[in-house]
Amino acid sequence: MTTLQPDHPFAALLAEFVAESAPLAEAVVERALSLERSWNRGEEDEETHAPLKGLLHTVKGNSAMMGLAPLQSLAHTLEDLALLLSREPGVRVAGGPLLVRGASLLADLVRGAATSPLPAEALRIQIEEIRAFLEGNPGAQEELRTERRQADQRQSDRRHSRQTVEISSDGAVSTIRVDSARLDQLLDSFGEAMIAHAGLRDALRPIIGRRRAGGEATQVEHALLGLERTLKRLEGALMETRLLPISTLFSRFTRQVRELARGESREVRLEVAGGDTRLDKTIIDRLGEPLVHLLTNAIIHGIEPPEERTRLGKPAEAVIALRAVQRSDRVLITVTDDGRGLDPERILVKARALGVAPTAERPSRAEIFALAFLPGLSTAERVSSLSGRGVGLDVVAGSIRALGGQVAVTSEPGRGTTFTLRMPLTVAVLRALLVQVNGERYALPLADVAETLRADDRAIHQVARQGMMTWRGQVIPVVDGGEALGGDPVADRPYCVVIRSASRHRGLLVDAVLGHYEVVVKALDPTLGRPPAVAAATILGDGRVACILDPGRIGERPADAAKDAAGAA
Amino acid sequence: MAARTFLVVDDSRLHHQMYHLIFARPAFEGAMLLHAYNGREGYALFTAHPELTAVFLDLNMPGMTGLEFLERRRAERLHPQVPVILVTTESTPDDEARGLAAGAWAYLRKPFTPEHLESLVAGADGRGVPVSHRK
Repeated sequence: MTTLQPDHPFAALLAEFVAESAPLAEAVVERALSLERSWNRGEEDEETHAPLKGLLHTVKGNSAMMGLAPLQSLAHTLEDLALLLSREPGVRVAGGPLLVRGASLLADLVRGAATSPLPAEALRIQIEEIRAFLEGNPGAQEELRTERRQADQRQSDRRHSRQTVEISSDGAVSTIRVDSARLDQLLDSFGEAMIAHAGLRDALRPIIGRRRAGGEATQVEHALLGLERTLKRLEGALMETRLLPISTLFSRFTRQVRELARGESREVRLEVAGGDTRLDKTIIDRLGEPLVHLLTNAIIHGIEPPEERTRLGKPAEAVIALRAVQRSDRVLITVTDDGRGLDPERILVKARALGVAPTAERPSRAEIFALAFLPGLSTAERVSSLSGRGVGLDVVAGSIRALGGQVAVTSEPGRGTTFTLRMPLTVAVLRALLVQVNGERYALPLADVAETLRADDRAIHQVARQGMMTWRGQVIPVVDGGEALGGDPVADRPYCVVIRSASRHRGLLVDAVLGHYEVVVKALDPTLGRPPAVAAATILGDGRVACILDPGRIGERPADAAKDAAGAA
Repeated sequence: MAARTFLVVDDSRLHHQMYHLIFARPAFEGAMLLHAYNGREGYALFTAHPELTAVFLDLNMPGMTGLEFLERRRAERLHPQVPVILVTTESTPDDEARGLAAGAWAYLRKPFTPEHLESLVAGADGRGVPVSHRK
């Protein structure tokens, strides 16, 4: 949802507008705050004041070019206010807070310009307030009105998402635009309700258990079940509101591909299909970067220069196809190019040099291509000045996994390469198996749990310092929970959770299996260190935080990860 | 007609991209765009390209402003045949007058649309003669 008309000549530059103008608006806020402090102490601060006008002027000019008239007029009135305050020391103490408030609103709106609609009402009130001040009657009455306006503004801030309402021909409201921040809040509140429900269920479990033993269904149990059903419906409805067509993401690639191709002297046409496939907004937001990496890779490393293509009997213009399709509860996104394809020999040579090659003497092509997702295996000989990034596939794989997705690659040397991303529809709520290791609780995505068994020590054998066990007729590796999660190994844990992964299963030894829960996924701060097997966090019914594990990376060694990626193809 | 070349002198990346979009329109097919991100860089490019069809010169830039650019160019009598269009905002009418006096061929006031710019360039194209004295 943007604030611009899509047919505005510069609609495509909205992100650039934000990137350039937000720091300027933030500098205005900082200066306004520091001026307010100086003025309250009765000090002059011309050095801080002087650049204000220029900053505001630039924000105003940028907003005007983008056709963001309300931002333009807010910046304009702030410019006037800054001018008045520099000329009239007598009104500084009264005007300082107004400058700070106006500047903060400006910064908020500029920052959000690409994602949220402009709150017309809050803007109007703020501009009016500044104008009233400029007209020079900031009496006691005015202060009261200011108070009220602030209250109104907070109200209207809360309400602003309701402002654009589309009305169908019969006069009924058919569509309401809602600020996405509001949807996030809704999801957070829903998460809290889920946590409270889990807490309630845990607290009531002993009572229900006793009754059940007596064969009597209690009112408590009924009420609890009713609540569960309602929450489930609520979840479904909530998730539905968060789904956006992936075309919102795809649409920006056409231009990027064209520009990048031009810079690299390649002739490339981007074909997009399945743009109406819907995905959770969070996933769409975070898919942009990995997809840009893949498209960039395709153009720089995959597609041959036009002359070479002609020589090879290919059309000079290459085609990159970007497709999305829903398959049950997953969305498959493919990026296919008709370039030179991956060179399995080179990948293998490099993998051997790094000591991560598969042990098999003649690894399959899929196994080799999967190695491309390991760190340090980018076979590219140069880094494009245009992309300016490492374009490492390990980075791509990492961001896809962080969203609960998988990525795989297939390639036909000389014919082209296809990357396939398998993404979940939503990342918000997860059905999980809760387990306990060394006193800590962890959530495992239920979809990846094949079976839970009592561990039998005698069945686990050590092979080359790796525990192995026989499960359903196959030998699978077994990892100690403590070891896998960065803690101490313990000799005899009573349970083994068999985790399903694409290529082979794996056992995880745990102290206790606590049951099935629906957990609300909370992203972890990426700046915090964490064991590789931890994907995200959740809050449990008792308010404690539990880590959500990434089953694909439990007890991971590079070669295993490569196998998984191969198997996912 | 020989390929047209335009120089944009502006310290804002956003504005460069706007020009980029405008010059990608059919009216400017085949046109080449040179980018300078400050007055000095702009002046260097201007010096090296006497064949320029027109220059879009931002008024407010740190370092060398648009006015300083124009004044230096007039003092050095550099490429007087190239029309320089001063890009201004509504709050700087004095500067517009000063710019024209310093040899700007025209001014383009922000916010402008691609159509504004197109018609301005059509005018500059048709002229093709020194116009540095006009107001």
